Amino acid sequence: MSSQGQERSRRGARTHRASAGGRWRSWGRHHRAMSLDSAQRLLRYPLSSLLTMLAIAIALVLPAGLWLALDGARLLDAELDESATLTAYLADRVDDGEAGRIEEALSAHEGVAETRLITAAEGMAEFQQSLGLEDALARLPGNPLPASVVVTPADTSPESVRRLAGELEAVSGVEEVRLDFAWLERLRHLAELGQRVTLALAVLFGMGVLLVVGNTIRLAVENRRQEIEVVTLIGATHPFVRRPFLYSGAWYGLGGGILACGLLTLGGDWLSGPVSALAASYGASFALPALGFGGSAILLACSTLLGWLGAWIAVSRHLAQIRPR
Amino acid sequence: MIAFEHVGKRYGGRFDALAHLNFRVERGEMVFLTGHSGAGKSSLLRLIIRLERPSRGRILVAGHDIDRLHHTQVPFYRRQIGVVFQDHQLLFDRSIYHNVALPLEIQGMEPREASRRVRAALDKVGLLHRERALPIELSGGEQQRVGIARAVVNKPALLLADEPTGNLDPQLSADIMSLFEDFNRIGTTVMVASHDLALIARLRHRTLRLHEGRLVADEEAV
Ligand SMILES: Nc1ncnc2c1ncn2[C@@H]1O[C@H](COP(=O)(O)OP(=O)(O)OP(=O)(O)O)[C@@H](O)[C@H]1O
Ligand SMILES: [Mg+2]
Repeated sequence: MSSQGQERSRRGARTHRASAGGRWRSWGRHHRAMSLDSAQRLLRYPLSSLLTMLAIAIALVLPAGLWLALDGARLLDAELDESATLTAYLADRVDDGEAGRIEEALSAHEGVAETRLITAAEGMAEFQQSLGLEDALARLPGNPLPASVVVTPADTSPESVRRLAGELEAVSGVEEVRLDFAWLERLRHLAELGQRVTLALAVLFGMGVLLVVGNTIRLAVENRRQEIEVVTLIGATHPFVRRPFLYSGAWYGLGGGILACGLLTLGGDWLSGPVSALAASYGASFALPALGFGGSAILLACSTLLGWLGAWIAVSRHLAQIRPR
Repeated sequence: MIAFEHVGKRYGGRFDALAHLNFRVERGEMVFLTGHSGAGKSSLLRLIIRLERPSRGRILVAGHDIDRLHHTQVPFYRRQIGVVFQDHQLLFDRSIYHNVALPLEIQGMEPREASRRVRAALDKVGLLHRERALPIELSGGEQQRVGIARAVVNKPALLLADEPTGNLDPQLSADIMSLFEDFNRIGTTVMVASHDLALIARLRHRTLRLHEGRLVADEEAV
């Protein structure tokens, strides 16, 4: 018996080697067959498939939309960077002629791109105008405002602007230098906060996608339990059993991704009017960035991968429980 | 081909479904397995295809201790054994043809070759003309024959059958048994579990008799 057994396994080994190419072909054939078969199964129940995909799409839209908005905010940030200025307030005793000389001294500094002098009188006029307090201020005995120089730095990065401020403060006649970009920094912190929130949401909603797909696939596995038992009885491997479900998961993910792209495009169109109007009212030109080809490709790849992963988790958890009777 | 050495199977920690089993089945033999309901016939067959693992002792099939198979090897081991199940285990949402083709599909056989083998197997059990039918459209006996076609389509060296004539009429039962004898004649080792003592007696093959999980008789063909 054992010599016969050896003979058998030797023969087995030979056919095995001879058909390595054949095995790859049959593997490819099964992948093709299962991808088609699982797509057909989804199409057989179009409404419930669509609902699952929609649930996936909704989970994807929020983080993807936020990410797009932040991307837009970064562009806005760059634009605002260029408008960062410093204001150098001159000492009270400085008269207009001296102020002019100080402005020249400041503009000679290598870190300074541009300067504009606001004399005490001009400052007062601007102040009155902007506050609408002409009468009240006119009653003041003198002009309490100092002259000032608005400085546009050559290099607008926050550190070098801050360094420039220190250097300009040392110039005689300059009382104090104020950075006008404190609010800009606040915006940056907000943007960073936004990024983290987006990341957290992406993780949470990504898990949501896993759950949606996992639950759908769990039901599919349950429905095909008998089939799984039978093929296991007659020698199907776990990858063979898993394959159709993994493809279903990937199809759900892809479908959800496509719907999400559509929703983002629609939503972008719908919001673009108010958004650019709002931006224009702040004197900035800002448009919501579109998803574009690259963004869509990334979104679809992520959603397909999430679908596949959700299916993998569900099937693996479930296969362990299914034992043929 | 099969060797049981001091095999015992205990379910749920206290109930011995099988105990002290010692026997060998040589390559090319045909053996009946009989005994009352609950004697352990199905359990014994399930041990051979490693649906269950013995609580004690070891089982050698083709010289290999099957308890030592890694779980990833088990599917490949099962592919070498044809099994006719007590309850058919057909897939009711696909045609007779696709049911019989299933083992070949699992092995990734090239479709043209597979189709040739499926037709040969269906022809052998006399159901070639029903290949497009669904299992539900077939009688119990015909379904049983589909199960047999699926078990032999892969030309296994070992064929196991659990009550293949379960509730069939005597004529059909005799036909099915002679089908197994045909496979045995071309070299397949065959093991058939059955209650049908009259039929078994008529066929004159070695018979293993189980009683409450113990082997109480091993009668050579007379
Ligand atoms: N999974 C299981 N868990 C617990 N007990 C089991 C299990 N499978 C079988 N048994 C018990 O083992 C004993 C043998 O069962 P088995 O199915 O092997 O009998 P059988 O000879 O095939 O009977 P039948 O002729 O009715 O099919 C029975 O008493 C049964 O209750
Ligand atoms: Mg039984």
